[in-house]
Amino acid sequence: MPEHITASTDLDRRSFLRTGMGGALFLGTVSVTAGLSGCATSPAGGGYTTLEDTRHGGYRYRFLTKDDIVLFQALLPALVGPALTEKPERRRAQIRETIERIDAGIYQFGPANRKELRGLFDLLNFSVTRVTVARVWSGWANASTAEVDAFLNRWRTSGIGLFNNGYIALTKVSNVAFYGHEDHWHVSGYPGPPQWAVDALPQFRAGA
Amino acid sequence: MSITDRIARGLESGWKVTDGATLTRNQTHEADVVVIGTGAGGGTTAEILARSGLSVILVEEGRLYYQKDFRMNELDAYASLYQEGMSRVTKDGAISILQGRCVGGSTTVNWTSSFRTPAPTLNWWASRFGLDGLSPEAMKPWFDGREERHNIEPWRVDPNLNNDILRQGCEKLGWSWQIIPRNVKGCWNLGYCGVGCPTNAKQGALTTTIPGALDNNATLFHGLRAERLVVKQDRINHLTASAMSADGIIPSGVTVELRARHFVVAASAIGSPGLLLRSDIPDPHERIGKRTFIHPVNATVAEMAETVDPYYGAPQSIYSDQFNFSGGVDGPAGFKLEVPPLHPAMSAGVVPGHGADQTLDLSRLPRMNSVLALLRDGFHPDSPGGTVSLRGDGSPVLDYPVTDYLWRGLRESFHRMAEIQFAAGAQRVRLMHLDSPWFSSWPEARKAIDDLAMESHRVRLFTAHQMGGCGMGQDPRESVVNGFGEHHHLANLSVHDASIFPTSIGANPQLSVYALAARNSTHLAGRLRG
Repeated sequence: MPEHITASTDLDRRSFLRTGMGGALFLGTVSVTAGLSGCATSPAGGGYTTLEDTRHGGYRYRFLTKDDIVLFQALLPALVGPALTEKPERRRAQIRETIERIDAGIYQFGPANRKELRGLFDLLNFSVTRVTVARVWSGWANASTAEVDAFLNRWRTSGIGLFNNGYIALTKVSNVAFYGHEDHWHVSGYPGPPQWAVDALPQFRAGA
Repeated sequence: MSITDRIARGLESGWKVTDGATLTRNQTHEADVVVIGTGAGGGTTAEILARSGLSVILVEEGRLYYQKDFRMNELDAYASLYQEGMSRVTKDGAISILQGRCVGGSTTVNWTSSFRTPAPTLNWWASRFGLDGLSPEAMKPWFDGREERHNIEPWRVDPNLNNDILRQGCEKLGWSWQIIPRNVKGCWNLGYCGVGCPTNAKQGALTTTIPGALDNNATLFHGLRAERLVVKQDRINHLTASAMSADGIIPSGVTVELRARHFVVAASAIGSPGLLLRSDIPDPHERIGKRTFIHPVNATVAEMAETVDPYYGAPQSIYSDQFNFSGGVDGPAGFKLEVPPLHPAMSAGVVPGHGADQTLDLSRLPRMNSVLALLRDGFHPDSPGGTVSLRGDGSPVLDYPVTDYLWRGLRESFHRMAEIQFAAGAQRVRLMHLDSPWFSSWPEARKAIDDLAMESHRVRLFTAHQMGGCGMGQDPRESVVNGFGEHHHLANLSVHDASIFPTSIGANPQLSVYALAARNSTHLAGRLRG
């Protein structure tokens, strides 16, 4: 994403407060501007490999852009924190699979809510708004977990409803995709569906 | 598949069921009646009309899922069975809306609680909206009939501990509590009602009225979105519908035209006003979409000393109406107290937080209990509800400003829920509120709840009940349909779902929808066959 930005995107806090009244409109504007200024705005598609993991290419992204993937790679260690394993290889896989599930989930949200999230992610990816609105100075790829955590806490405790809403959106899609998956049920102590019922029900039999 | 699976058996026997995703050519079909929506209202309507000998076409935007698909998995279920992949929210994003989008509608994913419309609500409708025909006495046979049809009776099994905590708290405080009637037959007490009943025990539309209609020659199109009712000379001439792709999200481009003598809209309190607005249905007093109601829901969670396993067992079996009508029908916002089931994805999405705190909170899920309050909106002059309007792409959206009247009720219900949990022995209690810490005693919580900001986004609000938007009433200046759900201006249009409620009702709405739809469909069948 280019660092040189036109005057029309100069958003100070005051103008953000004002646009907070019409959040959707504001976020839509950022999306358009981000597109014009060269942010990745099309889905990352298939064969996309993260910087850290060059072996994986099976999942085909239908909503998240390459920038969004970098964003979530930065967010997830702060969002799901100690629930991620420390083992580097498994940790990378956990993050990758969670981002894939976030993508699959958002695709099912349908056009209207996808558009809202597009606005939110563009706002976070676009360098000027990343700095002015999220107060994250470096790009997401270089942001530390502590910086991301501070950003999340600012949005959580902000007096501006639009930021609270952004916080809820980010935590909700991530928490559901992470804690809701079978691989992470143990983190919440959920044993899964009762085995006796699984054994007794026809839909779980081979070939069902 | 099991021989007891009505859907699998019916499909094998040659039911007329078409998946919109399989259509490759534009086409036209005709019947006596087209019913739009297959939830509590649409299913009931289709079965009664089909049994009376009328030809019926059912239209459902969502897809047909049944036992083979119900695998007790949250992520799959939320993506496929719920509106907007479980991401539906009010216009400003402040209230999450849990609503079904599949054959059977919300009855396929609800928690089976089945209440008659409270008598004070029906009496209020009679006095305020001229709906004398819906008095508790007049409605009794319809409730009786639907309770039989859907096997509704108070849950005979012991409540799970999650629900029993509500009972224990009320008992200690001297507050009333009751056992919830459920629409189940041979229930295994598993706890997965919200992700599609895996055992076919739930007697929702999917296992009762939809099969009943299809057995009686009705035709079902699923994966077919009702786009527009086309009016010609004071009558609906036909419905234009779009076939959806197999992903259920994008129209394939194939259109279907459905012609009928009569059209019944039962597409929910968000979908029905949306369809009427898209269709430019005559609306001289601009009532369509107005006075759309939800029961706004807030919740608290408690950490108990013992294992609760809140993900297992009948999700809802105990309720308290102690505060529902205690301030009078049109006094301060009343609320019904119930319990939600807590599975990991739902809990992780609902309990606000991130990082180490969130992981620690969720690690206690097995010992977690939650209580929720359903606020009764629409009875007071300061509670006009919300408005359904259309987005640029024609999809409906609900704008729901939370009034000071509701905030007062929400603060009050936070108090009562925390008090119940501490009375039942909770070690710690937390509000579903961005600013709420864990409280370790009732006095501490009581003081803090008075000081917490009651603001949109900071208070986590939800709803699973949508009502109104095509309100019924005697006066066309303040309603869309009459007491039989018949449109005031178009003779061959009826509305048979919760969108006709002139207020919220103060109880989970499925039985109210079943009963009104049965009454109004029986009336309609008489009209069309007469």
